[in-house]
Amino acid sequence: MKEIYAVIRINKMQATKKALEAAGFPAMTAYTYRVMGRGKQMGLRPDELSFPETSKEKIKEILAKEGKHAMRYVPKRLLYLVVEDADVNKVVDTIIKTNQSGHHGDGRIFVCPVQETIQIRTGERITETKPN
Amino acid sequence: MKMIRAIVRPEKAEEVVGALAEAGFVALTKIDVVGRGKQKGIEVEGIRYDELPKTMLLLVAREENVDEIVDIIMENARTGRFGDGRIFISPVEESYTIRTGQRDYRRLI
Repeated sequence: MKEIYAVIRINKMQATKKALEAAGFPAMTAYTYRVMGRGKQMGLRPDELSFPETSKEKIKEILAKEGKHAMRYVPKRLLYLVVEDADVNKVVDTIIKTNQSGHHGDGRIFVCPVQETIQIRTGERITETKPN
Repeated sequence: MKMIRAIVRPEKAEEVVGALAEAGFVALTKIDVVGRGKQKGIEVEGIRYDELPKTMLLLVAREENVDEIVDIIMENARTGRFGDGRIFISPVEESYTIRTGQRDYRRLI
């Protein structure tokens, strides 16, 4: 089993939930309301709209200007779901397809291993991947 | 790649983020959480608070940078008293940038 973390735009949450449901993955967990995130652009900076490479000099320069016109974090939604190994690609593709606008800030997906899941209601433990 | 989840004091979070940025690790997610440790929260005037507000910093980094990042977090989040928080490191197998739709094999800062 794998755990898939996705950091996405706030306004894409409903569409992502619908798309995942349509693809057969209705179960997921999300953080209430929002999390704050930033990528290599270090938040939203109108005077530094986009810089492709984050060098240490550039970061220093930006930090020195800190507080002038900077939004240090951008609100995002963080959701995660645990799926079978064989379904990882399908879920990742669904999330990418729904969330891709082509602009910076579309978010990121991380895939992490999970050793064991336990259903609380039944006490059933799943340690191995079921053959698909 | 490794996912580093650091649970720190909310008032220390910006200090940690600033120090990480100076070292070149600018990308992260910041989440407000509540938690307790082995002291079972704190007791103030007979009332026990067992859900203490903390900030969780979540970042994914290349393996060779993990030690440096952990050192930076430790240095900047520590007060020496109970409640300074914890750092968890777990494996990440794949990472994707949604904008490009590509898997990141190398570039992660």
